Amino acid sequence: MEYSFDVERRFDSPAGAGNIEAPREGAVAHGEAEDRSLNVWIRFEVQADGGTIREARFRAFGCPHTIAAASWAAEALRGAPVDALRSFDVDAARRALNVPKEKLGKLLRIEDALRACAERLTEAALEPLEG
Amino acid sequence: MSARPGSATPIYLDYAATSPVREEVVAEMLGCLGKDGAFANPSSTHALGRAAARIVAQAKVRIAARIGADPDGLVFTSGATEANNLALVGVLGASRARRHLVTTLIEHKSVLDCARALEAKGTEVTYVRCGPDGIVDPDALERAIRPDTALVSVMHVNNETGMIQPIAEIASRCRAREIPLHVDAAQAVGKIPVDLRALGVDLCSLTAHKVGGPKGVGALWIRPGISIEPMLHGGEQQRGLRPGTLPTHQIAGMGKAFELADPEVEGPHLADLRRRLRDALAEIDDVHVNGDFDRGAPHILNVAFPGVDGEALRFALRGLAVSAGSACMADSPEASHVLSTMGLSDAAALASIRFSFGPTTTADEIDTAARLIAEAVPRLRRLALGAPAWCRELRSGRATGPGGLR
Repeated sequence: MEYSFDVERRFDSPAGAGNIEAPREGAVAHGEAEDRSLNVWIRFEVQADGGTIREARFRAFGCPHTIAAASWAAEALRGAPVDALRSFDVDAARRALNVPKEKLGKLLRIEDALRACAERLTEAALEPLEG
Repeated sequence: MSARPGSATPIYLDYAATSPVREEVVAEMLGCLGKDGAFANPSSTHALGRAAARIVAQAKVRIAARIGADPDGLVFTSGATEANNLALVGVLGASRARRHLVTTLIEHKSVLDCARALEAKGTEVTYVRCGPDGIVDPDALERAIRPDTALVSVMHVNNETGMIQPIAEIASRCRAREIPLHVDAAQAVGKIPVDLRALGVDLCSLTAHKVGGPKGVGALWIRPGISIEPMLHGGEQQRGLRPGTLPTHQIAGMGKAFELADPEVEGPHLADLRRRLRDALAEIDDVHVNGDFDRGAPHILNVAFPGVDGEALRFALRGLAVSAGSACMADSPEASHVLSTMGLSDAAALASIRFSFGPTTTADEIDTAARLIAEAVPRLRRLALGAPAWCRELRSGRATGPGGLR
């Protein structure tokens, strides 16, 4: 298996990994997706405020390409409109990181997790954070 | 060797895959290649041919001495894969009345795929499972023998886990039923004592490149009186069982490598390295040896790291040259058939790594490897915090669990 420099860099230092700590404003939602047959699990957390994604974080059990693509997505979504969670195209991450097409099945779980975030964010928006 | 992740020269811990050719072996081979060497066809009757034939004969003596066998029983092949195929296809082909083969689910692919090809042509095959410790039960194997069994084939040392199979016990059961026993000893030679006479083995597959010899040469040793047909046709070399001009340089290299691969000399060093790595990895939480540590060959340690993706772990450990406990396809990870048979979950089998050592492996290299692993595994587990249970489970429920690390 070949790994591009960008995949290697993001795998070694995955920007956007972890959880959103103590959000002060806006709504926070998480979404998960997995495919046991592909040995992959992804969880995203997003914090949105005023229709804009303020922060996106992820955790992942998966191959280096999946981890790198999740890191790329977390960075790309920061500052984007909330609608980007539903329209996120993981193939853009795949091309940017030079990930082999055979890995697209795993990478698609990132889209699934982000859409799950969008669903929950909609629900969360109806119930603003307290305190 | 360098130890930096991503370095062009990683620490080599993959001796079970292949080994560098020993300098003495290179010298032996070079003496058979040039115009002033023993380059002639060993089947030629002139003086140069006879000189090459003497080198082949000397190599046979060296190889036979390492395995406790008669040199005349050796038939040279391109390696253990061909030797395994010749044993199975040749014995089944020569057997008219008996059309049943017994083997195990943990054999090398060159036995399993050959057995499946024989099945497709009408041979009945019984595949015996191993226990959760990776070792085949002789009683279970004996129960699989039928009146029409033509051959039993069991490996001596498993190439993934290093588990030593009870060949002497299996051989005695086969002998009592008058069934020939074939043993793939590719991973045994040079690591543990192999004495085919004492074991009572009838056919034995060998290879050179696992013990510091060249790739592309191996042998099948056949006990006199065993009926076997050739797979190839086209000459009378090697009693017609494997025709073709003998590669004198390859055979000379194999002979020298077998002479040097003395388990009494190298075994203790390998065992020390294996124990050192096992002890160092025991400092990491939730790490498991696949198999029974005390019943393993000294050069292989197969370890499961539940809770991390296997491909990610191997990439994190790119400063080490190690093998997966699995054949990992691009988008469809395939767990090792050996580890699955032992009862590991697919995720744990995929997250298993085979470390294997050679005579030039050092304690410093083992310590560096252990340090890299101790950094990578917790980092990847933190990244997967909150992952579902299947990502972390060790066993599948298909069998009871493997031997623990401690």
